[in-house]
Amino acid sequence: MFIARFLARRLLQGALIVFLVSAVIFTLLRVVPGDPVRLMAGGMAPEALIEQIAEEMGLRDPIYQQFGRYVWGIVQGDLGQSFVRPASGAAVGGASFDDSTRSERAEVWDLIAQTAPMTVQLALLSMLFALIIAVPIGVWGGLRPGRFPDKLALYLSSVFVSLPNFWLGIVLALLLSVKLKLLPAIGYGGFAYTILPAIVLAIEIAPFIIRTLTVSVAGVMRENFIDIAAVRGLTRNQIIFRHALRNSSVPLLNLLGVQFSMLLGGVLVIEFIFDYPGLGLLTINAVMQRDFPLIQGIAIVTAAAFVLINIIVDLCATAIDPRLEY
Amino acid sequence: MSTDPSSPGAALLSVRNLTVVAQSEGVRRTILDDISFDLKPRQILSVIGESGSGKTVLARALVGWMAPQLKITGGEILFKGRDLIRDRAYASRLAGREIAYIGGNPAGALDPTMTVGAQLVEKLRAVRPDISAKDAQDKAIRLLEAVKIPSAASRFHEYPFQYSGGMMQRAMIVDALISDPALLIADNITQPLDVTVAAQILKLMRELNEKFSTAILFICSSLPVACDAGDEVMVLHAGEVVERQTSADLVSQPQHGYTRALIAELPTLWANGKDGRDERQDRNRQALMSVRGVAKFYETRGKAGKAVVQAVRNVEFDVFPGDNFGIVGESGCGKSSLMRLLTGLERPDAGSIIFEGEDVGTASPARLRQLRRRFQLVLQDPFGSLPPQSSIGDIVEEPLKIHGIGTKKERHDRARAALNEVGLGDRLYDQLPTGLSAGQRQRLQVARAMVLEPRLLIMDETLSALDQTEQGKLLDLFGRLQAQHGFTYIFISHDLTMVRQVCSRIAVMYLGETVEVAPNERMFFDPGHPYTRALLSAAPTLEERRYRPEDCLLEGEPPSPIDLPPGCAFAGRCPHAFDRCQRENPALVSRADQALAACFLVNAASTAKAPADA
Repeated sequence: MFIARFLARRLLQGALIVFLVSAVIFTLLRVVPGDPVRLMAGGMAPEALIEQIAEEMGLRDPIYQQFGRYVWGIVQGDLGQSFVRPASGAAVGGASFDDSTRSERAEVWDLIAQTAPMTVQLALLSMLFALIIAVPIGVWGGLRPGRFPDKLALYLSSVFVSLPNFWLGIVLALLLSVKLKLLPAIGYGGFAYTILPAIVLAIEIAPFIIRTLTVSVAGVMRENFIDIAAVRGLTRNQIIFRHALRNSSVPLLNLLGVQFSMLLGGVLVIEFIFDYPGLGLLTINAVMQRDFPLIQGIAIVTAAAFVLINIIVDLCATAIDPRLEY
Repeated sequence: MSTDPSSPGAALLSVRNLTVVAQSEGVRRTILDDISFDLKPRQILSVIGESGSGKTVLARALVGWMAPQLKITGGEILFKGRDLIRDRAYASRLAGREIAYIGGNPAGALDPTMTVGAQLVEKLRAVRPDISAKDAQDKAIRLLEAVKIPSAASRFHEYPFQYSGGMMQRAMIVDALISDPALLIADNITQPLDVTVAAQILKLMRELNEKFSTAILFICSSLPVACDAGDEVMVLHAGEVVERQTSADLVSQPQHGYTRALIAELPTLWANGKDGRDERQDRNRQALMSVRGVAKFYETRGKAGKAVVQAVRNVEFDVFPGDNFGIVGESGCGKSSLMRLLTGLERPDAGSIIFEGEDVGTASPARLRQLRRRFQLVLQDPFGSLPPQSSIGDIVEEPLKIHGIGTKKERHDRARAALNEVGLGDRLYDQLPTGLSAGQRQRLQVARAMVLEPRLLIMDETLSALDQTEQGKLLDLFGRLQAQHGFTYIFISHDLTMVRQVCSRIAVMYLGETVEVAPNERMFFDPGHPYTRALLSAAPTLEERRYRPEDCLLEGEPPSPIDLPPGCAFAGRCPHAFDRCQRENPALVSRADQALAACFLVNAASTAKAPADA
């Protein structure tokens, strides 16, 4: 009962958020300079043809009409078609306007559906790596505030957070791929290609997890019920693993939700460096080509993912700490 | 002194020359100085001392829970003859198993994310791994029933935040006793509880002591409670044991000067007898404030959906000019909600609050501001209710500015005069309130309220943050101001002894209703409502009680203001309840001599139940 009401309310709120996000993106994209029809039709196309295509595509209608059409499409599960990408997956852009291979333009939904799983795989793996690095360090630091483990946690996170990810990516690629030939680095040809970018991302995320954990574990360890637990006769292991970690996991869960959403939104730099065919790379290309429908589609799907992840995180948090009400 | 070195075998716990020092930033301070005492099996020993006397440090030293800056520098703690200080392994084997501890803060004592039952089972199995989970659960539920937690089997699966303070303290008693310990250390366990609930906990503790033959070290800061709870009382002062006697002897023939002072300071409820201060009021005068059928509901939203909290339901009383009107009741009875209604901070959902002929509840915001010149509020919290960045003079002048009274010079003079009157002196005028003590802050609050020359001052727990001595001084001040300015006071308080000292007439609130309104002596010597008798029976005092808790109060706690029973709200705890009480809610009826009570027994049998000398 509680869950049903909770989900209904949160999903409605989420739908509203996604609607607002798409409205803002839609409007902004149409007020920035640059005519996508010129890019689509090719530089050599005559002005009259460009106008004609634009008319046909409805690009000269008022923005609210275009938006209305677009939203109506989304409700029916249609995110529109890419302006520039052909369904065949052939080259993008070009000078000529009568290239027959370009007649069939790709569905935005298909483009996202092809790349999103890659990004999800990358995001999950980097979260896993980050947790493996950060949880022991963070918990250890939180259990001994002000002492060596706490300082180690602080210094390590300072180092991690100050490594620029593009630099780390290149160095690790050089070291692990070129020199040691342990891992493949560029493109995608199997699961092994995810590992290297995931390591780089994990090192980028780990400091936040370490910091959150040290603070929340140290906070929980100061709580009355932890002090009293020893007097009540509980063992140190019971106190730490059953009570302290459980109580400090709620802030961590919130952080992981935000981090995961950000990873899903496309890690532009890393995917670009490793030429990893995920949402990030798709976004970069879409922006460079002024591919309005694709940019909009990615934005909406990411916003929806963000909303869903937050709902899941809040649901998990209430399961851990029943006092929370969202 | 029962410290008898010739028979150490008889003592369960014997503390010998225990000394604890606090070491911080190079300063050494002795917290416990050469403490020695014995505790026999099944004995209850109360330890009393003011804050800072080292009693909590003593309790925690016994269970090995020491803050890092505290060090045991000497002595021994012998439990069944073995020293707990030197033999740490022995001590930690005993923790929670043979030596149990209950603290004064039940709210934070259990993990908030796990059910109470799961934690009771976890604790029992941690100290007794041989007990199966099923047996542990059965035992926990049995004990929860023994401490009278209603529907224990289902409460077992609830979370700590779903327990009230009193229930949580009971659960912690279960937690302590579940491993059948030989020694229970109870550190200030009744302090955060309401008097009627605290009385039940004390009664329960004595029963458990008999049933499970647990020795109890009962630590508290209130002498009446300590004497009530223990067979013997040990007085701790500045880290030293100054005296140890049986409860009766301690009160009748205290040996040490400190104990004598402690006893002399205690205000009394009945000991001074009636002094005929109840005067008949002239009911032809117009009441200054007249409250009729006032109600206030709040909507809350929780996991179970919307619920209506009936914070104030049916409040009726008149305050006449020159009255010291007291409103008493336990936490959750609606005192603070009522205060917000009386001062126009919130509007009542029903009823009227007539102040000098005008309804505060329906006045326009502008009119309300004008009316506030004539009634002012003084709040409970001396620290949160003063702006820390305004100078003391500005704080007092502010009301005058708000109401646009006087020129700059006049305002300045009036503020100085007000500061002088409350005994703060005008040299504080330009200072910030940061350095003021709690008592000085309350004086400043009074100055801020009286600078407008109001007719009515509403004191919401104004004295409850102050110690006994400071309370006395402020009460003197209130009396002086009343004589000079003709103020009328409404004291909202949970403290019966304070109300007994100063109030002329008293209203008793229970679950949002006024259940009794009576002149001071009538209320204390001949109360008309069973709840008033229950309150009086539970009040901490050394005097011979006019009302015994056993006769006046059934087990249990007030029902939730969210789902109130249909009849009288007190029926569930009332020893005199009968059929009609379950169906109908009694209204206030007169019991002669300007006393009212909301009980069907008024004018029927209540006079027969009252003690003979009433």
